[in-house]
Amino acid sequence: MEARIQSVKSSAVEECSKIESLAQLQQLWVKYLGKKGEVTQLLRSMGSIPADQRPVVGQMVNQLKVELEQLYEQKEAELEKQIQQKRLQEEALDITLPGRKPKIGSLHPLTLVLNEIKQIFISMGYQAVEGPEIELDYYNFEALNIPKDHPARDMQDTFYITEDFLLRSHTSPVQIHVMERQDPPVRIIVPGKVYRADSDLTHSPMFHQVEGLLVDAGITFADLKGTLEAFAKAMFGPETRIRFRPSYFPFTEPSAEVDVSCIICRGTGCKVCSNTGWLEILGSGMVDPRVLEKVGYDTEKVSGLAFGMGIERVAMLKYGINDIRLFFTNDQRFLHQFK
Amino acid sequence: MKVSYRWLKDYTSIPWSPEELAEKLTMAGIEVGSIDSLAPDLPNVYVGEIVRVEPHPQADLSVCQIDLKSQMLTIVCGAPNARVGLKVPVALVGAVLPNGMQIKEVELQGVVSSGMACSEQELGLGDDHSGVMELPADVQVGQDLVTALGFDDQILDISVYANRPDLMSMLGIAREVAALAGTKLAYPDTEVPETDQAIEDLTSVTVEDSDKCPRYCARVISDVAMKASPLWMQQRLRAVGMRPINIVVDITNFVMLETGQPLHAFDYDQLGENRIVVRTPAENETHFVTLDGIERELSEDMLMICDAEKPVCIGGVMGGENTEVTDRTKTILLEAANFKAANIRRTARKLAIGSEAAARFEKGIDPEAAIMAINRAAKLLADLAGGRVARGIIDVNYVEVGTRAIELRPGQVNSLLGTGIDQDAMVEILTRLELEVDRSVEPWLVQVPPFRRDLELECDLIEEIARFWGYDKIPVTLPGDKGCAGGEGRDLTLIDQIKAKLVGAGLSEIVTYAFVNRQSLVQSGLDQIPELSKMIALANPLTEEHAVMRTTLMPSLLECAAYNFSRQQQDLSLFEVGSVYLAEELPLQKRPVEEKRLALLLAGERIPLHWSLEPQAYDFYDLKGLVELVLSGFAHELVWERGTLPIFHPGRQSWIAAGGRVIAVMGEVHPEIQKNYRLPGRVYLAEVSLDHLFQAEKPVPEFQVLPKYPSVDRDLALLVSEDIPVGLLIEELKQAGGSMLQSIEIFDVYQGRQIAEGQKSVAFSFIFQADRSLTDEEVNDQLNHMYQALKNKFDAKLR
Repeated sequence: MEARIQSVKSSAVEECSKIESLAQLQQLWVKYLGKKGEVTQLLRSMGSIPADQRPVVGQMVNQLKVELEQLYEQKEAELEKQIQQKRLQEEALDITLPGRKPKIGSLHPLTLVLNEIKQIFISMGYQAVEGPEIELDYYNFEALNIPKDHPARDMQDTFYITEDFLLRSHTSPVQIHVMERQDPPVRIIVPGKVYRADSDLTHSPMFHQVEGLLVDAGITFADLKGTLEAFAKAMFGPETRIRFRPSYFPFTEPSAEVDVSCIICRGTGCKVCSNTGWLEILGSGMVDPRVLEKVGYDTEKVSGLAFGMGIERVAMLKYGINDIRLFFTNDQRFLHQFK
Repeated sequence: MKVSYRWLKDYTSIPWSPEELAEKLTMAGIEVGSIDSLAPDLPNVYVGEIVRVEPHPQADLSVCQIDLKSQMLTIVCGAPNARVGLKVPVALVGAVLPNGMQIKEVELQGVVSSGMACSEQELGLGDDHSGVMELPADVQVGQDLVTALGFDDQILDISVYANRPDLMSMLGIAREVAALAGTKLAYPDTEVPETDQAIEDLTSVTVEDSDKCPRYCARVISDVAMKASPLWMQQRLRAVGMRPINIVVDITNFVMLETGQPLHAFDYDQLGENRIVVRTPAENETHFVTLDGIERELSEDMLMICDAEKPVCIGGVMGGENTEVTDRTKTILLEAANFKAANIRRTARKLAIGSEAAARFEKGIDPEAAIMAINRAAKLLADLAGGRVARGIIDVNYVEVGTRAIELRPGQVNSLLGTGIDQDAMVEILTRLELEVDRSVEPWLVQVPPFRRDLELECDLIEEIARFWGYDKIPVTLPGDKGCAGGEGRDLTLIDQIKAKLVGAGLSEIVTYAFVNRQSLVQSGLDQIPELSKMIALANPLTEEHAVMRTTLMPSLLECAAYNFSRQQQDLSLFEVGSVYLAEELPLQKRPVEEKRLALLLAGERIPLHWSLEPQAYDFYDLKGLVELVLSGFAHELVWERGTLPIFHPGRQSWIAAGGRVIAVMGEVHPEIQKNYRLPGRVYLAEVSLDHLFQAEKPVPEFQVLPKYPSVDRDLALLVSEDIPVGLLIEELKQAGGSMLQSIEIFDVYQGRQIAEGQKSVAFSFIFQADRSLTDEEVNDQLNHMYQALKNKFDAKLR
């Protein structure tokens, strides 16, 4: 009996070692461990064994059963692993083929630049507001200290609709609208389209400005410098330097043109800044008291600072765009560069 | 304005190089755009004096001995004006002239010529090529030519702001330079030698329109020797870009540049009755020939300088041909007047004349300057042209302007600027600008001379102090925030959100012109819509392309698509947010409505070309999905109806109404319209009124408790008549589905061979859900109920 057990075991081990598939393994199970399998038959033949030997032999058969089950499981695991490995090998992909990109659109570069500017001033406590593009002469000029026949009207070639109505030539009239309906303090930025009769590589008859206005008690020119320096550093990088030059705008006094150190050459001189190291970016100044008086503010109690810039100009500098018309022809190949 | 660095030195000493001066001026608010050398570089060209002239033995040339101080040269020369004693420019052997000519030693028929005596043209200094250039007698022999002629000059190009007409003169600029440098300002010599002849016996001036002419001064100068002006004056004029003409015209121009006061010289003998009348044109005086030979059309508000009979000059703008100074002129009537700026501006605009005089008058100049200028010119005419100046000046209509007093609180200076400038420094700055400060009173009283008409208020004085104190010295501070909360209004926020959604959905933003061609409505088939045709027109458009304000965004998007199509960009998904301009009536009487709109355009393939995907063109439902995306989230009851706009395919368009008002239109573009734009394929276009959309609340999403019990799915495929819109079926199913019906999706719509003609199959997928476990039975009952509802109402059959 013992010899039979040994022989079953060794033949099972040998057969198992030759198995190559799960199906063969299954046949092996049936042959040895199945209902009519060798082990079952061994157990059945126990009756023919003397009673005193039965416990020992019984234990040996059980031992055999456990060993064969282990053998089976081992083989099964081994085969499964082989199969998986084969599958993994077969399933290798060409990782150099392009992926399926979700289709993503793009914001217009002018929107991108405006959003940046807006976020900087909003973080400084400014409210973004808009105003009408078709304006009355009064708001575009008179209320801003530019009476009829004032030579400063030459600075802005204005599109007229009627004697009284025109396309605003700057976003400044919105200053007046806001101050007319609100008492100080006022802290606003005004983005929007403006119109001037001028058209070449750097001028478009329609373009965009952002205007800023802060009116409160005790606002100084030093505050104007600080505000715009903070803006320039946030917009163009912390190493940006800023320069204020006296200038003239009818609605500010004192007025200043604001240059930032060239964002291309960092101030050493290049083609973009005509070798000056500086780029003119902003017009600014302290709000002229005549403007504040027009809206009924007490100029003994409050003062204001104001500034404005062309969004196209900032965008052209930021992205190195050389022709302003590209913003408005909207060639998709241009637009998709700003994803 | 062009400013000669050398000329400027006549009025003040400049401790800076031209580059340093430019920097100082720029930082004081006088922007210097560029600095250019006046003359070409002329190395190896020197001043020589002809000491002997002999005819060439064999040719029709002269052989000159020319003294260059360091050497004597023999130079062969063909110029007819070569003569002993003449000083001429000599290019030495080795010199290269601006025209590229290289000077070599040459043998001309037996005579060796070592150098060349040059003409103006050869040196690049002028057009004259008639002979050798004649240098003034007082130039120094042996000196290099550029230095000898004062051509070693730098020209500063200065932009003058509209409020500073005083800076349109050498003296005005010099005053600022002197104030910056702390140097003295030297006024030009205006001492006039007069004859005994009184001017009143020679002429008279009558000003009929004193509003337009606040001052008119005249002098009469006789026995003027007409000739060219001296070289130094010609150089000065040329340096700043003016062409020398003759001694009289040059002197008037020179004095205008020097003082900023335009002058005009009339030929006294050509003036009817030798007198001046200042008036607007008479009814029959409709045309006038200016001295450039052009006939100008006059209008009744233009101010004319006339003699006893006729206009002789458009006052302050341009003189007339009829009294122009010529070679035959003997006696001159010199005018130094002041004209109302606004009227000059209008006249110059209307006539499109951009004269130097008008450029000054239209900014408003100092009436005090007239006397200085007329005396300066009279003196120069006497000194340089032998003129005899009649005694006295006729000065009509003058009201002394005098100084203007402005109060200045020194404390306010520092509190507006945020500085700590001391009071002595303030006074010094103002004094250097020729403003007188009375510190004995509080506030101070500052006397402003009439040439600084731009200074009117305290803040103007503060700017002057800031400018000369230096903007760079003003500290940098940040205003306290006083609890101002930054942000933007609801509309701007909502627009940002919609743009973000659309970009995420694959669309690119465009920005197009708000003014369009009137034809764009015709091209897009929208010209029949009356409210769209009421477009606000510009009075002075640059081109027809940008002539009217748009009333719809859709044509702009079609144009943009056409632009891209013609550049091989055919798969387009674009959007624009912009205003339309809606007038109640035209011409505009009241403010138009500016309504924010969103427009969308889809064309070409929806899926980018990819190795693993089937190409698929955009269709109506792509656009509809985007429109639904934009409209979603607002508390609007939306009604979708078939639209009737001629821009769209009649069977493939919709308008979407909310609260009885159309807030969006969309559709496939009509093939005829696509032809107009040369757009092949199918193009989808929508426009949404954001202003109307935003009128509804956009409620914050309210959290729903997640279901605790499993949901049950059921599908149902039905056959209905093909003309029944699926939307109606959905409405009915919702009604019949009751509270346990949670969602309806349509997963197939089919028409074709497998089903009867005139029928379509619609397959629905439902999810049922309740606050308990649903049994199959009750779900099946509900589903059956829903089917029965469609069967009864739409004759639907199970497929």
